[in-house]
Amino acid sequence: MLRPATRPALAATRQVRQCAARFFSSPASPDTSSSHVHSPSTTPETNPAPPPPNSRSSTSSSKGKKPLTAEQRAFLSSALRVNQAGELAATLIYTGQTPPLVTRDPSLRPLMKHMYDQEAAHLRTFNNLIYRHRVRPTALYPLWSVMATGLGWGTAMLGKEAAMACTEAVETEIGGHYNAQIRKLLEMVSEWEAEGYEVGAEFRHLINTLRRIRDEELEHLDHAVEHDAQKAEPHWLLTGVIRAGCRGAIWVSERV
Amino acid sequence: MMRPSLISLRRPARQILFSSVSTIRAAAPVPTVATHRSLSTSTSTSTSTSTSTSTSTSTSTSTSTSTSTGPGSGCICANGSRRPQVQQTQKLQQQQRQHRNAYHSYDHPSSSAAFTPVEESILSAAYQHVPSHGFTPSALAAGARDAGYLDISPTILPEGAFALIRYHLVKQREELAARVSELFGGEGHVGARPGLSEWEIRGRVEAVTWERLSANAQVIGRWQEALAIMAQPSYVPLSLKELALLSDEILFLAGDSSVDPSWYTKRASLSTIYAAAELFMTNDHSPEFMDTRAFLNRRLREVSEVGGVFRNLREWVGFTATAGVNVLRSKGVKI
Repeated sequence: MLRPATRPALAATRQVRQCAARFFSSPASPDTSSSHVHSPSTTPETNPAPPPPNSRSSTSSSKGKKPLTAEQRAFLSSALRVNQAGELAATLIYTGQTPPLVTRDPSLRPLMKHMYDQEAAHLRTFNNLIYRHRVRPTALYPLWSVMATGLGWGTAMLGKEAAMACTEAVETEIGGHYNAQIRKLLEMVSEWEAEGYEVGAEFRHLINTLRRIRDEELEHLDHAVEHDAQKAEPHWLLTGVIRAGCRGAIWVSERV
Repeated sequence: MMRPSLISLRRPARQILFSSVSTIRAAAPVPTVATHRSLSTSTSTSTSTSTSTSTSTSTSTSTSTSTSTGPGSGCICANGSRRPQVQQTQKLQQQQRQHRNAYHSYDHPSSSAAFTPVEESILSAAYQHVPSHGFTPSALAAGARDAGYLDISPTILPEGAFALIRYHLVKQREELAARVSELFGGEGHVGARPGLSEWEIRGRVEAVTWERLSANAQVIGRWQEALAIMAQPSYVPLSLKELALLSDEILFLAGDSSVDPSWYTKRASLSTIYAAAELFMTNDHSPEFMDTRAFLNRRLREVSEVGGVFRNLREWVGFTATAGVNVLRSKGVKI
């Protein structure tokens, strides 16, 4: 039975999902790719951003691709660094949570496997991006590994509801975090297009990848809520502490 | 015996410690964030101490040249204070930080170049004079003359001779990619061979490092002086930054794709090995520097052996812990 205080929280998490869907209008299906954005027939309906450069080139002279400024490069490298750290923590949280949860309730095994597989795929994606773009990984990698495993194991020992509440808290923070990154990247792209520059395929691909991953994280959030995350006993304490910890870890990983 | 004699390291080590403390104190009145960050974010403490000690040996053998080039290198204040020099060095450090480990875009190349066009023209002309004049203000003056400027023009370079050294370091690092792609048969830059084995990567690291070392051949006769200048307290952070950028470049070109803590350990150990090999090369008179290449191979082999030991230890600990937990679970302990 949901306590009255949790209804606004539940509504808020639903709103995050709906805002994301409305403003960034990404299809939930995983077939988003950079080629989708370039096709002029579908872009006007699904993409609120300005039309792609190949349709503008007749009106304004395309100046080629604008070089990235130092702030933009710093933002991109810290974004990729934090995302890799986050996905590492997510995979380790699920690794820690799965054995205790599944021993108590074997019906959770497919769900945990599904979520773990998606997080592992995200981690591979970001590892690849970090290698390609020569970004420095976070120096506190071992620390986050230990803390994430401990968090996963600890919340699973507290019970199924606590484990789901942990997932809910982490995914809420992560969803908001990815939204902020996507928003900033879209601002960069729209500035470039307003100035008449081309935008490379690399950027379009990056934005679509982040959208897809954000959608999958919010899907995990929904799963966690469906599996009684809100019923965890000191729900406000668990989610409060975990969300604060996530925010702190994000802040540190952006810098160190 | 070809190895440079490593005389007692205690005195130079104390000198380096003292000079780095006085650098921090001298830099305190100007914005400290830049200096502290660049010092604290250099590759690793082991790198900095080992490169300091390796450069300090050449400092101790050529102290006279280092002191003579120190005050003369571009400080034009009437009262002889070091403040503008420190500020200019920090501006350069800030520029370096922007290059450092930031996002590398293939579609949108970066906007900042290491040198302004005027500096580039003077330095590239002066670089041709280095084998004859060394890394000195006279090489800079000759270069300025060749480039069509007045002889006094190099005073726009606040660090003087160090600017020429930095030009050498930056130019050789940037050209490394082109030389290496020739070496590896012109295959593409990134992720071209994602499936490289550990052994292949080690071989490539050796090849790329050797390629960079052999690029020193023209100026190696003057390189001991250059190391002495680089070891001056105000230039140590920039020199270490260049070393870190170089080891990152070498590992990337060799195809190393690690993105976990070994990213740091590999760069730290490669920086140390490169600095040691470069120092060895300054005193190597064998044909085509084959002794240096053998030295480099020995150090790389040692590192991979030691790395293997630590990796085995970590695997053993991880396996034992996991196995212990699983045994307890199988006995019914609810963990």
